[in-house]
Amino acid sequence: MTTSTVQGSPVKALIVEDTPVHALILSTILRKFHCEITVAENGNEAVQLFLEGKKFDIIFCDKEMPVMSGPEAIEKIRALGESHVKIVGVSAGYDLEQSFMSAGADIFLPKPMKFDVVGPIIQEVMNKKNNSMV
Amino acid sequence: MDYSNLRRQAASMKKGLFDQGHLDEQFRQVEDLQDEASPNFVEEVAVLFFKDSGRLISNLEQALEKYPRDFNRWDAYMQQLKGSCSSIGASRMKSECMSFKDNCGKGNVEGCMGCLQKLKREHAILRQKLESYFQLLRQAGPTGAATRPVM
Repeated sequence: MTTSTVQGSPVKALIVEDTPVHALILSTILRKFHCEITVAENGNEAVQLFLEGKKFDIIFCDKEMPVMSGPEAIEKIRALGESHVKIVGVSAGYDLEQSFMSAGADIFLPKPMKFDVVGPIIQEVMNKKNNSMV
Repeated sequence: MDYSNLRRQAASMKKGLFDQGHLDEQFRQVEDLQDEASPNFVEEVAVLFFKDSGRLISNLEQALEKYPRDFNRWDAYMQQLKGSCSSIGASRMKSECMSFKDNCGKGNVEGCMGCLQKLKREHAILRQKLESYFQLLRQAGPTGAATRPVM
């Protein structure tokens, strides 16, 4: 899949990541798919964005972060009724997948992230978004 | 100036970084993100990495002094640094991070201290090598020298 095949209104992506390098790399990947990007440095910031009424189509969420971890933030976001947003748990430990999925994540991707797996995920979110607007 | 020769030197330098184990495949993935819209992306990532990893190493050193034998805390700090190393493909640094975490798991203070010293050495070596590499790339570029970011 190439970036040129992604069409429709831009996907609103939230990156929840305390490591600046990870956030920069993932932001760059998502920009290539024309996503609108917001970055939160920890789980609490992410939850606050939803409490402020912000809406996102997809969240890429790290696990270990200061203030609030990824799984805890995901639980709280889902508890706010945000069932539609696709949540991708991202972490370096394969054994951490269960903690993300139990919290309500849809997908788990190990770090370091393989860039070619992001495109199909974004396309799926975009298709769902555009179909819901018809 | 012989730009093709400079580009060959840069390519050789990069090959050396991989052959010597300083960098792994993840660095190539970062390179693949560089394009005309972001022509200095790899260098920007490297600058950010060295700034962030320097901070994390400093935080860890403070934690080693302030929280003796607090292996859970030390491990948590090192987990952050390991993640950062993984994202740019800093392979040797990542190995030392993992050795440090192993020593945390064994409750081995001396082992942790030794790993930290090795990690700092690898950090300094990689920084110097990448600085040289990016300097060469800038010289080899068609527009010549660009603004030199501070690593």
